[in-house]
Amino acid sequence: MTTEQDQIVEQSQLGNVGDLSGDSLLKVRHLSVDFVSIDGRVHVLNDISFDVKKGEIVGLVGESGSGKTTLGLASLRLLDSPPAEILQGEIIFDGKDISKISDDELWQVRGTGMNMVFQESLIALNPVYKVESQLGESIGTRNKKNSLHTDKETDKSEMLRILRELCLDKPDMVLKKYPHELSGGMRQRVSIAMSTVQSPRLLFLDEPTTGLDAYVQNRILSIVKQLNREYGLSIVLITHDLTVASKICDRIYVMYAGRIVEIGTSREILDKPFHPYSESLLAALPSGFEDSPPLPVPGGEPPDLKHLPQGCKFNPRCIYVMDTCRTDEPDLVNFEGRMVACWKYPSTAKK
Amino acid sequence: MNVDASSNIVEIEDLVVRFRARGHKSGFFRGASWNRAVNGVSFSIKKGETFGLVGETGSGKSTIARVLVGLYKPSSGRVRILGREINYRKKEDVFYLRQNVGIVFQDPVGSLNPRLTVRDIVTEALVASKSVKKRMYDSAVLDSLERVGLRRSSLEMHPRELSGGEKQRVSLARALVVPKKLLILDEPTSSLDMTIQAQVLNTLRKLKAELDLSILFITHDINVVRYMSSRVGVLFYGKLVETAAAREVLMAPKHPYSEELLSNIPQLVATQSLDSNAATRALVEHSPASEGCIYRNVCPKVFDKCVDEPELAEVERGHDVACFLYHDSMQRT
Repeated sequence: MTTEQDQIVEQSQLGNVGDLSGDSLLKVRHLSVDFVSIDGRVHVLNDISFDVKKGEIVGLVGESGSGKTTLGLASLRLLDSPPAEILQGEIIFDGKDISKISDDELWQVRGTGMNMVFQESLIALNPVYKVESQLGESIGTRNKKNSLHTDKETDKSEMLRILRELCLDKPDMVLKKYPHELSGGMRQRVSIAMSTVQSPRLLFLDEPTTGLDAYVQNRILSIVKQLNREYGLSIVLITHDLTVASKICDRIYVMYAGRIVEIGTSREILDKPFHPYSESLLAALPSGFEDSPPLPVPGGEPPDLKHLPQGCKFNPRCIYVMDTCRTDEPDLVNFEGRMVACWKYPSTAKK
Repeated sequence: MNVDASSNIVEIEDLVVRFRARGHKSGFFRGASWNRAVNGVSFSIKKGETFGLVGETGSGKSTIARVLVGLYKPSSGRVRILGREINYRKKEDVFYLRQNVGIVFQDPVGSLNPRLTVRDIVTEALVASKSVKKRMYDSAVLDSLERVGLRRSSLEMHPRELSGGEKQRVSLARALVVPKKLLILDEPTSSLDMTIQAQVLNTLRKLKAELDLSILFITHDINVVRYMSSRVGVLFYGKLVETAAAREVLMAPKHPYSEELLSNIPQLVATQSLDSNAATRALVEHSPASEGCIYRNVCPKVFDKCVDEPELAEVERGHDVACFLYHDSMQRT
């Protein structure tokens, strides 16, 4: 399955971004995660495989409950167990399977190898410490890992440099502030600074722009793109907003109910979404003026993972629903060089 | 006063809202400073109109909304609802305001009492309005829920059992259970998923037509504002810099700030087209000028006249702009 999928992705027009099999920085294979509680067992991730190549920006797009954040956390092995339970799967980072390594080894990978910027910057930052000491902690950890010794002066100038790079005015002022004294956009950039100061090779950004207005949103996105261009940093952008993903991502994984339903380049998905769910995400973007027709969106809510329907998980909301959709779940297969999980497409129907 | 004043649901004139700023020295009022969240804003909303108010975080959008439901008192300026001027010191005036104006807040979790059921939440609005007989409560609640597209089964549920979109619908049902003239929507969809946002927007449009509502729609999402509004006002740090029909503001903005705001619309663009020019422009921090034109610190078109403060004036039919660039051209012609 692994090789088959690799071949398929290679066949698609991704060749320009680099050879996949050799250049993958992160390979997640057949990852399944359950959350177990008194109420029962919930399948949060279901046989997920995804790749991030060196220097690539990958988008994980889906609505709440689609498992995109869980996938991010699982890749860094940050899921608490219990309630999370990893049923199967490999997480190969830089050629090494990190899904079974010890905590000590993991310590080396996290931070300087993979790093994550969390969604709520107000919660991600410690409210009782000033920015300076939090950034300092980050630098300290990095130094410890690389057995470096730096004095306070160099640390401080490095902090100032990185904050300035992230386009914060008056970085020396920012250092002296508590998180609650900063605006949302500034806090988000401090969070990003804390992660990038460790110079990771892969950075997960979980909804970095949610709750920020369009103006600040653009600013953050261009900073992210800049980090990617200048340092060749690979990035996984987790978002519910297809417009955000389309702006900076090379490839997009569309997720629904803990499954990947479509993989394609940003352009492919925008120009011609294959999966009905991707299609409805595009249709949901308000367009036109007051007198335009209503938005053609499917009814229904995002799936409740406790009560998933039989067959294709999108079938209750799908406008193209057929009998097969209600009974059998489609696999993610290749159609015209793109991966899609839908019975609508002939290569799926063959099976 | 306007001749057609009767068709105006709301008129706001020179509204100022100040907040006491922190950091003043010890002693009574010594060195106390005030922040003007809203600084001399005037606009009106006509019957059947959706007025979209756009601006960044901190531009005073929500403050205006809260003044219109009597949660904040204006520091100065006038607010008129259906031609009646509201004296915020008088209880009956504020009551009159709330009878005619409904509001849906941004945060669906924070605006619903977690200990009440949906039925109780919506009924509260009926009790407060004092205009509906007790025996009519149940049918009014049911009607309202149905109108906003909620299932009957949600009646006995608590907010935590509902999804984000459903919670916003409950807020909407509560706001509209007593017929209102003006509905204020303060970022009603910004915390919702894309498809749910679209569903709620469709419902809002339908309701507006059914109930003949006027709407004040507050958001920072230009795509949403375009889809919903007939007229748009652009707010920058408590100042209204441009108002006009939605098509005019969004297709041909005049004020330099509106132009900039519109260049930041989230669009479906494929990756490489995030042009570096726009990116660098987006990196400039906004800081309002303390005197003169409020935008002059960052305005790319700043010139010597901008040390004075421009008034919001009509430069074309129905198109008001607060910028000397256009005031001048008007004088010349």
